[in-house]
Amino acid sequence: MIKAGIDVGAKTIKVVLMEDGKIRAKAKVLSGFDQEESAKEALEQALKEAGLSREAIGSIVTTGNGRKAISYASGDVTEPRAAALGAVFLYPSARTVIDVGAEEARAIKCDPSGKVLDFAVNEKCAAGSGAFTEAMARALEVPLEELGPLSLRSTQTIPMNAQCTVFAESEVISLIHSKTQKADIARAVHDGLSSRVVAMVRRVGLDPELVLIGGVAHNPGFVESFKRTVGIDDVRTAEEPEFVSAIGAALAVGK
Amino acid sequence: MATPTKYPTEALKCWPKAKEIRQQYYKDYASAHDRGGIRWSGGAWAFDAVPMGLGDDVHVMTGEPYAASIAFDRKFAQECQDATDARGWARDLCSYMRIYWGSMYLNRFFFGGEFPKPDFYYQTQICCSHAKWDQEASLHEKVPFYCIDVCVGPYETLTEERLNYVVKQLHDSIEGMEKTTGRKYDDEKLIAAVHNECRSTSLWAEICTLNKAIPAPLDEKTMFSLYVLNTLQRSSKQIGDFYEELRDEVKDRVARGIAAVPYERCRIITDTQPPWGFLKIYRYMEQFGVVSVGSLYTFGLEGIFGEQEDGSWGPRKTPQQLGIKIKTRDEALRITADWNLSRPQWQHFYDPAIKTRMMLRIYNEWKLNGVILHLNRGCEGLTVGSSENRLGLIKAGVPVMTYEGNMADEKEFDERRTTSRIESFMETLGLEQIPGAVAAQAAS
Amino acid sequence: MIEKFKEWYINRHTYAKQWKEQTGGKVIGTFCTYVPEEILVAAKMLPARILGSHEPQDVTEPHIFGMFCPFCRDALAQGLKGRFNYLDGVVLAHSCIHFRQTFNSWRIHLPVEFSYYIPMPNTVQTPHARSYHRVEVENFKKAIEEYTGRPITEQDLDRGIEILNRNRRLLRKVYECRKLDNPPLTGEEAMYMAVTSQFIDKEEHSNVLEAVLKELPERKLPRDSGIRLMAVGSENDDAEFFKMVESVGSTVVIDEQCAGSRYFWNESVPNGDRLAAIANRYLDRPPCPVKDYPAHSRFQHVLNLAKDYRAQGAIIMQEKFCDPHEGDNPRLKKFLEENGIPTLSLEFDSTNPLGPFRIRVEAFLETIRGEELF
Repeated sequence: MIKAGIDVGAKTIKVVLMEDGKIRAKAKVLSGFDQEESAKEALEQALKEAGLSREAIGSIVTTGNGRKAISYASGDVTEPRAAALGAVFLYPSARTVIDVGAEEARAIKCDPSGKVLDFAVNEKCAAGSGAFTEAMARALEVPLEELGPLSLRSTQTIPMNAQCTVFAESEVISLIHSKTQKADIARAVHDGLSSRVVAMVRRVGLDPELVLIGGVAHNPGFVESFKRTVGIDDVRTAEEPEFVSAIGAALAVGK
Repeated sequence: MATPTKYPTEALKCWPKAKEIRQQYYKDYASAHDRGGIRWSGGAWAFDAVPMGLGDDVHVMTGEPYAASIAFDRKFAQECQDATDARGWARDLCSYMRIYWGSMYLNRFFFGGEFPKPDFYYQTQICCSHAKWDQEASLHEKVPFYCIDVCVGPYETLTEERLNYVVKQLHDSIEGMEKTTGRKYDDEKLIAAVHNECRSTSLWAEICTLNKAIPAPLDEKTMFSLYVLNTLQRSSKQIGDFYEELRDEVKDRVARGIAAVPYERCRIITDTQPPWGFLKIYRYMEQFGVVSVGSLYTFGLEGIFGEQEDGSWGPRKTPQQLGIKIKTRDEALRITADWNLSRPQWQHFYDPAIKTRMMLRIYNEWKLNGVILHLNRGCEGLTVGSSENRLGLIKAGVPVMTYEGNMADEKEFDERRTTSRIESFMETLGLEQIPGAVAAQAAS
Repeated sequence: MIEKFKEWYINRHTYAKQWKEQTGGKVIGTFCTYVPEEILVAAKMLPARILGSHEPQDVTEPHIFGMFCPFCRDALAQGLKGRFNYLDGVVLAHSCIHFRQTFNSWRIHLPVEFSYYIPMPNTVQTPHARSYHRVEVENFKKAIEEYTGRPITEQDLDRGIEILNRNRRLLRKVYECRKLDNPPLTGEEAMYMAVTSQFIDKEEHSNVLEAVLKELPERKLPRDSGIRLMAVGSENDDAEFFKMVESVGSTVVIDEQCAGSRYFWNESVPNGDRLAAIANRYLDRPPCPVKDYPAHSRFQHVLNLAKDYRAQGAIIMQEKFCDPHEGDNPRLKKFLEENGIPTLSLEFDSTNPLGPFRIRVEAFLETIRGEELF
């Protein structure tokens, strides 16, 4: 039986099709205005990739901020649960899952079965999520995907003093005007974000058996800053971090 | 999963009366001057027995419950807060205070007509915001402001000198009130008011103690409408009488096994004021068979507790119960000072460890399964130390969830994310929605 | 000589550790500026005020919720990071609820030999505060005596009072020089001077102050003093901010802050009863808004300072989420403006975006200059 997991995120929708504990197909589309329509599109893409028809799907479980918006789903699970199930499936030793998405970041403490023991969410402030790097990339006039690699070329640490996204944007502009290297600014941006993420992780406790998931884990600049901030060199980053929660959603059936 | 037990439920008979008392209270306040009476305003923690010595026609309006009433009307609440913002006050200040000020600045009384100007403000000073609240209000209204500093440390370290400091200020405040109102102070009325104050607050503690029963006869959402009477005027005889009636009714519910929540299978407490405009989150929890049996807030804001003979927590014995006959003004003031200083919800201002101990006591004695802490951006005073409480509870093995919000400013509350958090917490507690509970709510 | 203060400011922890090694004395962390330091000095201890570091940190999130002021979190972070691990004790005299959390989390997670909470009156204006606080100061003295196992004699108290008063007098003298048309020191320098007196051995600090006072008459700033400004507000020792303000055509000539003048403004007046003199000193000092009840007694003091120092404008530096100051500021602002002192309100975090702040300060200075033209 094919199990579908859909992560209806703030920015993108991720679909994963699983069969017998193996991933059959994946798809990702922008959320757009109509999450339900976009989710359908993503699901069809995944089915096409797997060469399957809609009828082959036994269950559809959703997660993510729009998880209740999908009428054809057979059920939905909370974001922490999906993240933990997905992370433990991919990395059985993971006990702390750090999920940094476009709009929210969360830290989840879980047991070996993927049961959530405690969690913390950074929900009130864009400065602790992917939206922060997006805004800063705009201010720096570099494409978002280049912000991370750019920061890796930084030669010095400069502080990011602004604590909120709006002030940070004007601070970045001030830094550009004062001829600070873009690479150093990019690094400061990632240091600022990771400091906020780590502060949140500390609420559930820092366990070295951690794994980074969520779209922002793609950003090598953030991952580097994160390692420096927590003082752990060996931080595991999921290979396709944005799909982990969709995997967890698919696996939630029967758990 | 096995079908959970369904307990019998019944509507509370006292309910309409509580509502009636509340409505009458605001009417009396607004019309006090028409009848030649006196109006004073201040906080729910003011020594409200003290102005009672000015006469039987003294009416009070405490600011917090007034602002909380407005919080249910999101549109007016917003207008009030906007009016306060417009005068340059920071938006992160106490949301009750911002609403009260707004209603005052706009000169609009929530219950109709112009904002009734008090003859004086009377307040205790323990929270950084409370005293600023009445300082500003008294300046705006150009009326005197008496504040009693009660920052003498936790009750467990109370000394004679510390008590005296509070009592002396209370004496001064009486002189001030006499001057302001031109009235002669009646000590007999004060003594009666102190008796009533002790009776009302001890009775409320007794009612909360009855909630140790399984199933709980009261749920917190209902308790919010009941404890509030003590925040209005705990020294009034009428309110003491009401609590006696309520106590008897709750006792009877316990005897007959009447529940507040039909599918009770998981008991929690919360903390601080809830987001008043979104009490439906409590209803949502009920779908999982969760009942909030109260909180240190609902119990101890206006309930005075004491250790019982068997070591458990229950109502503090009143001076009447102890056979103490109050004879003088000074004795009455000493009793009211000591009584109020023992208020559970004042102790955390000094040390979160005291609050954690009280919460653990409730956790054990009220047989709880978890705790939900509201990190209330609208109230610094009650959220102070919450993070340490969380750590303390976790250390003791208690499952804890937190959510961010604001009791009266809906801009700081995210309903979807909060329900989502609750759902995650339910998952960690191993609870799923009970179809019967969901269906019953949908039908009601 | 004046550079010494900045050096102390930067190396405060090294200083405290060395002081401890050299004297074998106890270092006591003081929370807020209401702790009667006379007692500590009488007991030959070093009072060291707990302050933040103005660096980003990620360690306080589990302890203090984000709706409380950045200063209370920054200060706790210093403890959690082990920077104050030389402390033998900690003392808080009742102030705001925000900072009390720093003290409480400290007591829970960073145990020290001696910890003490002084339930100091909050309504300093009530006449009953005096006799009450005298008893609390006495209780504190007893606790210190018990801790050290040595009595604090009347001579010790006299010495404690005199050491503190001398330091206060000298700081007032330095501040006096800032009244000049061309103040011989910057606001940034004055800030280092005032704030270091809160954690450097008072006698040593006073000796340097005396030496600096000798130098000041000859000293000239290498620039025009520009617009004369006052800094008003909550705890703030953000040196970078002062530096920026003074780099765009102004000089901070006076402050009303607890990192500055509020801390040292008045003396303990010996009146036979030494403990009463100490207790009254803290009740009579320029109050923090958290204690200024029932009247706003502080407003007139702020205005007097502005007038005495001929400030042309005031920057109201407000710590984000600081309720006591937020509860004063709109009326204080109005009061100053009605009395001819224009104001600029800025909200401060533990680290601040200087670029956007510079734009605001420059615009503020322009309006002041503009008014001069017409």
